[in-house]
Amino acid sequence: MFATVVKTSLNSAKVIAHHPSSSAISVTSLRLFSTSQNVQVNLVPHKLPTDQPVLSERPLSGTLDYVLTSWDKVKQWSRKSSFWPATFGLACCAVEMMHVSAPRYDQDRLGIIFRASPRQSDIVIVAGTVTNKMAPALRQVYDQMAYPRWVISMGSCANGGGYYHYSYSVVRGVDRLIPVDVYVPGCPPSSEALMYGTFHASKKDDG
Amino acid sequence: MSTSIIRVFKNFYRNGIKKSLRQIAQMNDTKSGHIVGVDDYGNKFYETSNPEEIHMRTRWVEYKDFWRPDMSQIEPGWHFWLAYGTDTPPNQLKPSEKAIRHIVPAQEKQHPVTYSCTRGAYVPYNTAKPTLSSWSPKVKERV
Repeated sequence: MFATVVKTSLNSAKVIAHHPSSSAISVTSLRLFSTSQNVQVNLVPHKLPTDQPVLSERPLSGTLDYVLTSWDKVKQWSRKSSFWPATFGLACCAVEMMHVSAPRYDQDRLGIIFRASPRQSDIVIVAGTVTNKMAPALRQVYDQMAYPRWVISMGSCANGGGYYHYSYSVVRGVDRLIPVDVYVPGCPPSSEALMYGTFHASKKDDG
Repeated sequence: MSTSIIRVFKNFYRNGIKKSLRQIAQMNDTKSGHIVGVDDYGNKFYETSNPEEIHMRTRWVEYKDFWRPDMSQIEPGWHFWLAYGTDTPPNQLKPSEKAIRHIVPAQEKQHPVTYSCTRGAYVPYNTAKPTLSSWSPKVKERV
């Protein structure tokens, strides 16, 4: 069975190789090969039966839907204009995070104010290397936040361990502890990159 | 950031009502200056030499996309100019000074934008050969 699957995937790769657009060959054949290895799992993005449509894509029916949707939009707009992050600065990324609140980028004009307490904040910015020792503290901070809450993972260390990926004491990505909404790449990412990530998080709020 | 109501009225007089309201909706401020250029996406870039303007807030962009503006819609060279990396805007560079794009093919008219938070977002997939191979058990009939 294994051999036949590989054979068919090779055949399909050959078919694609004859295709005039040569830029898509490698990626497509790789994807075909990788998906043929585990036939049961469909790795191509597709709709699951549990997927709920986002608010903007949901068809409206009836007066109540219109009223509730409008109310939701007002609610989201008000949330978007006061996006309060709990800081979780752990390493050099935290310095860039501080720059965002400093006069040059001036996050206060965007309604972003750092809160000391997780109970008052909407998002948590994890900036820096999360160590095993810090992991329960981070989880506790996240658990103390009120709904709805978002997480921005800032820098390669928080995204996936980064430079310290093979260290014995480092969590390989903050998404092993808490669900992450926005990953900001970089080592460290610039303040502008963090702001861009924050805008993306507030775009998610749009629905 | 508007420092005085007189400044707002001045900018309304210079820009006109429609443009000023658009500026307020997009960046919570009214600004007046001269246009410097337009990038490949159609965003307009402005600069002012008015000494009353706040330091480092004399260059700005007015996005073409009003409802979903995104920073990645700005062309990289213009972004550099916007962040005061250079005083020469990209449309005044000599042909020898222009940066060559390595990622974007030459036939593309526009630079690529970020597709995160949209349907076109990148979805990672596994390219490594699995270390385990599965088998489907078949029970032989008992004799």
